This record gives sequence, C-alpha cells and structure tokens, in this order.
Amino acid sequence: MNRKVAVIGVGNSKFGKRDDVTIRELAWEAVKEALEDAGLTQKDINITVIGSTAYRGTEIYPAPPVSEYCGFVGKSPIRVEAACATGSSAAFTAINLIASGLADIVMAIGVDKMTEVDTATSLAIGGRGGNYYWEFQLYGTTFPTYYALYATRHMAVFGTTEEDMALASVKAHKYASLNEKAHFRNRITVEDVLKSRVISWPIKLLDSSPISDGSAAVIFASEEKVKELKIDTPIWVKGIGYSSDTSYIAARGEWIGLEAARDAAVKAYKMAKVSPMDIEYATVHDCFSIAEIMAYEDLGFVDKGKGAELLREGQTEKDGRVAVNLFGGLKAKGHPLGATGLSMIYEITKQLREEAGPVQHSFKRYLALTHNVGGTGHYAYVMIFNR
Amino acid sequence: MDGIPLLFKYTVPDKLYEKFWEGLKKGEIYASRCKKCGSLYFPPQRDCNKCMSSDMEWVKLKEEGELMTFSIVKQKPQGFESFPDYTVAIVRNLDGVNLMCWVKGEPKVGKKVKLTTDGQRLICEVIE
Repeated sequence: MNRKVAVIGVGNSKFGKRDDVTIRELAWEAVKEALEDAGLTQKDINITVIGSTAYRGTEIYPAPPVSEYCGFVGKSPIRVEAACATGSSAAFTAINLIASGLADIVMAIGVDKMTEVDTATSLAIGGRGGNYYWEFQLYGTTFPTYYALYATRHMAVFGTTEEDMALASVKAHKYASLNEKAHFRNRITVEDVLKSRVISWPIKLLDSSPISDGSAAVIFASEEKVKELKIDTPIWVKGIGYSSDTSYIAARGEWIGLEAARDAAVKAYKMAKVSPMDIEYATVHDCFSIAEIMAYEDLGFVDKGKGAELLREGQTEKDGRVAVNLFGGLKAKGHPLGATGLSMIYEITKQLREEAGPVQHSFKRYLALTHNVGGTGHYAYVMIFNR
Repeated sequence: MDGIPLLFKYTVPDKLYEKFWEGLKKGEIYASRCKKCGSLYFPPQRDCNKCMSSDMEWVKLKEEGELMTFSIVKQKPQGFESFPDYTVAIVRNLDGVNLMCWVKGEPKVGKKVKLTTDGQRLICEVIE
C-alpha cells in the first residue's frame, strides 16, 4: 500500500430479528457508535462505502436511504457487494481509497435486513449464491447444500464427524451468551446440535448461522490523520489478501477446503510479513460449523484435515493458542451479510484495544486476523491487523 | 404491516445451449470444447476464455463416474417445495469432468455411478 491505514472507530448494532427498525435506523446504530468511538462527526468523513447484499429486504437499493438518514448526503458514491463477504469488500474499498491518497478518512458501513422475507424465499435467494443457470434452476440447491457438499467430503476424506462439527456451534453459543449484541444468547450442547432438524444433510439447524438483521461500521484513516487526531490506540491494517473461485461448485476439483480462502491467507501473510503461527486471535467465517473447521486449515493454523483436532483440544478458546470468534461467531452472534466482515473488524479492534470485557483474550504481539468468505468461497478476504 | 410483494418473473435463454438441453431429453450429457485449443468446458461455454476463440464444438461426455460428495436437501427453497427430499451430488466422470447432479440410489462417497438424465437434469445412478 502507498500509505498506511488504521482503524480509528468502530460500531456494531444489536444483531437479530430486528423488526423494530428499517434498514436506515439499523445502520444508524453502528454509524453513531463508530463516530462517537472515533470522536468525529459526519463532516470529518470524506467518503462512505456502503456494503449491503440487500436482496432479502424491501430496500433493494439501500445506500441512498442509509446515507441520507445517517447524514452523509454527498459523500456516498458507491455501494459494494460480495455476498457474505460484503462487509469485507466495503472495508477493502475504504482502505484502498485511503492507501491511494484519494481520501483521508473513510467510513465503511455494512448493513442488511434479511428477515423481511420468509425462509423459503431466503433459501431460494441463497441457492442462487453459486450459478443460477447451471445449479439452482436444475437442482434446487440451497446455500446450506453448498457447504454440506464440503462437509460430506471432509468427513469422508479426514474422518471428521458430526460431533466434531457440533463443537464449533457449542463454542459459538458459549461466547455469544456473553455478548449482549449477539443474535442468540442461549448455550447449547453437542446433543442439541445432533438432534436438531436436518436442513441439508449433514448440516442441521444448529450447525447453521441464523438469518439476521444487523449493521456494523468502521472508520479508517491515514497515518497523517491518526497523528493529527491524536488517536490513542490506532489498529493498523498490516496485510490484505483476497481471492475468488468458480461459481459452479463442481468445477473446483476438490471439496475439502476453500481454495480462495487459502489463496487470500497466503497473500495476507506475505504482505504483513507474518506466519500463521504468529496470529493470536482470529475471527473466522463460521456460517456453518464445517466452515470453522475448514477455516483453521485454510488459514494454516493446522495442517489440512487437522481442524477438528484443534477445536477438540480447545486451542481456539479464550487464552488458547489462537482464540477464535470470542464474540459468538456468525453462528450465534448472527450473520447479516453486509455487516459481518465489518463486525469482524469491530471485534478485532475491541480485542486489540483490550476493551473486550469478559471475553478479552491475552495478547503478546497484538496480531489478529479476519477471515471473511463470500458465497461458498466464491469470494474471500483475509485481513491482518496489529496494535 | 405487510410490504408490497415483489414478484420476479424470469425468462431464461433456452436456445443458447440447445444441444445440452436436447441431450437431457435423450439421457446424454454434452460439454463444449474449443476447436482451436481443445479446452473442455462444463458447464458449456460459447466462448473460450483461454484462447479467445468462439469456435466451439459439442462433445458427448462419458457416463461412468465416481461420486465425490453429496447432500440430502430436506428444507427446500421456493420453487422446489413440492419435491420429495432430493440428494444433490458432485460426480467426476471418466473424462475428468466434475458435474452436479441428483442421485438415484444410496449415496456414498467413492461409489461408482452411471451418469444419465431424467429428461430435465443430470442424474447419477449408484452402482451397487
């Protein structure tokens, strides 16, 4: 990057079924918190980048109403979308606007109101998350089906079990119970997961992240502005990795990990000049329980096929070797597609600033990472941050 | 309160890959191949992104294959509610092409399958 970029303000709305608000008020919850966190007002922001998938909401062009409501008229020339990695695509764009020198302070706003349609409609929209013409039209694939194809293959090749996958959900709910902004606050057991309704075998209801409403916002600034504003604990962007994969899932040749995520991770580590073993905290894209296990492997925390072992050993718990998703993950914190990637940066920022309360992880090097996947590895972003 | 419903009605091109759709009716599976560089495409493509040629030919794919992975769809999306539970699989055929299909029979990773169609989509029959 031509210029260093830091996170200087973060906000996150309450995630969940938010039928008390429209997308505008929902976005405002995160925007207000981020502005207050940075000690800025709207006039300090040069540009906003709004990330929203929008297809499940009534506002299918949500950027103008969100921008107007939040006081950013004249500053919101773009909305971005990368399916479930939409939030990271907003961050990616915002960071680049600053690194390039076009802007000094940029806010990335991620928001989605996904519960305005019924579940059958939502599944039909998610099922289009690959290649409509050659998949959904012919085979009625749902979004869980795509990840289920990976789960079945991972089980057959590495002996990963449904119990192993359930552990990811149990961990997510345990930490979400401590997060007042989480969609779910209840704790669950392995047995609860195994006995829950099958959605697309081997994926069951409690292996799955919920359909959530929510928003998150992150303010990025140039090094010059960080100094000028006398920001106490800027969180620096050290590395950015990105990649993508085929839309037609069968074309990939193997279904035991997400090649796009692996590629993105390699790029991010290289740019940050760190190795997977240096990472102390990670938010991983656990849209389904198998996704968390594959993420450990794709990020290089363990060898391929050893993800379940890392989970079983408790090494991804608070104060473990690499703590993962201590705010409850997509599974229990919730997964409003546009917000998720930015909510990950919110989490990393709180952790690196040591403002994470009951789930504060202990750091030595203050190195953390976000792993945000769009579709079934159709997009991938890995970003590395340090204090 | 209820929002205003938005009904999307789509028209999908059916002449574009006519040979493929005709093949489905006869139990045959077609991929496209670039006449210039030999690249094989499934799903079929009308244009070769490797050598930029649009001079393509149809190739009939072999019906023998191996079941790579599968999932049983219990909760169905809009448009498929009336179907009984169906199993979606990925099969690798003897040409080395990977295809999505529905499964007939008891699925298991690694099983030999025979690729065919039900007139509307690809089917793999598990060979016992």
